[in-house]
Amino acid sequence: MNTKKFSLIFIVLMIGFMGSVQARTKTIELPPDGISLKPSTLPGYEKALTNCVACHSAEYMQYQPPTAARPYWENMVKRMKQVFKAPIEESDIPVIVEYLVKVYGNEKTD
Amino acid sequence: MGSALLGPLASDAQAEPATVELPFANGKRLLATYPEKRPLIVLTSRPPQLETPFEVFNHGLITPNDAFFVRYHHSAIPTSIDGDKHIINISGSACAKPFQLTVAQLRSQFKPIEYLAVNQCSGNSRGHFNPRVTGGQLSNGAMGNARWVGVPLKDVLARAEIKDSARQVVFNGLDFPIFGGGDFVKSLNVQHAMDGEVMLAYEMNGTDIPMLNGYPVKLIVPGYYGTYWIKHLSDIEVVENDFEGFWMKPAYRIPDNDCACVEPGKAPTATKPIERFTVRSFITSHKNGDQLRAGRGVAVRGIAFDGGQGIREVAFSIDGGQSWQPAKLGKDLGRYSFREFTFNFTPAKGEHDLRTRAWTRSGQSQPLEASWQPAGYMRHVVESVAVSAV
Repeated sequence: MNTKKFSLIFIVLMIGFMGSVQARTKTIELPPDGISLKPSTLPGYEKALTNCVACHSAEYMQYQPPTAARPYWENMVKRMKQVFKAPIEESDIPVIVEYLVKVYGNEKTD
Repeated sequence: MGSALLGPLASDAQAEPATVELPFANGKRLLATYPEKRPLIVLTSRPPQLETPFEVFNHGLITPNDAFFVRYHHSAIPTSIDGDKHIINISGSACAKPFQLTVAQLRSQFKPIEYLAVNQCSGNSRGHFNPRVTGGQLSNGAMGNARWVGVPLKDVLARAEIKDSARQVVFNGLDFPIFGGGDFVKSLNVQHAMDGEVMLAYEMNGTDIPMLNGYPVKLIVPGYYGTYWIKHLSDIEVVENDFEGFWMKPAYRIPDNDCACVEPGKAPTATKPIERFTVRSFITSHKNGDQLRAGRGVAVRGIAFDGGQGIREVAFSIDGGQSWQPAKLGKDLGRYSFREFTFNFTPAKGEHDLRTRAWTRSGQSQPLEASWQPAGYMRHVVESVAVSAV
């Protein structure tokens, strides 16, 4: 690093900061989700509303490639419970997986 | 007054949200405006994962802060931080003198460094994998080049009196998983952490780091994939073992072989943590489907970058890779930066498959055929831009 050049840049920056002294607290407000879960008559839809999108938005499901197969959806739901400690009832897992693979995965019917 | 108030509301209610079609199956995406950002491609709304529209890379070698991609792993992200009082804890079993540092102290008590460096998501371009792989379906916009100012991690750790037994340095930020499991924590070997380049940055492109990129302090690991660039850095732990949290193992692993690749559909026999970028090059001035005027000269430009060797050469082809010629390299802005290249060609009437291929100073290059790996990381094949001239 060219020290002289650097010092110059540094001085310029410091002047910049002094010229614009402001509260250093940054606050943001996040926009709402862009999409929702796809409604379905499958019982897993209601379960997914409470268990999945409580934590994250529905793009995680909707944008998977059309090839996404049952083992992927099963691994993901299990990961949410086992790794991230999402409070998913063991008996709800197959129901949720069924909804995901039939609505978003390679068992899609529409 | 009335119309000024009603106008935006009325148009909001009527306007269809802007969308973009990424070039792979199921590639329709919404654009949305997040705090401190221009409209970006939404990979996920919550937590925010935002991709930079590719045309931005043709507007300059520095990616503006408001266009820079965003990648979070957890929905619980900080929305208000005091950028002076924010504390970084330095501790760990291999740390003789644990201490705390505010960002105000980081700014005032150390000598800053600066450099340009590309940040790129491990899964940048995942949507282009064939066969497709699951995960975040990104096109090529999860990368950006910025000027970072901050303090070498080495200088901060010097105050902590690191023991000879130190093996890894472990990094955590303020974002966290809602139910407490699987916090996003990453580690580097201590030799790497102490290389004098790994930086605690408090400035990005001459101003504060945007909140969604890690305000007020972000770990910069030049040449390494973005997974190590911890946002809202809050904890640095120096430990005597290899840290093996979820995001080091089994997540963010690549096949442990020379190409970091396997036969499509196969699982690797051994894996290692992802590390440095592979070398890439992109034409930015033209896109698939562009129509040119036959017989009229065209100036093409683009960008190349790699994991820190620096770009030695970029070649271009106008016939789908059958013949190659050297492109002209732009100014060297540092070995971690985007490097501009340009070339001219005069298209004959018909179809033209434009390709570019970069080499690093140590001779690594881009494969002509895409390699494959199950997690969809490190895509760096020679890309193709198909144009026609009439």
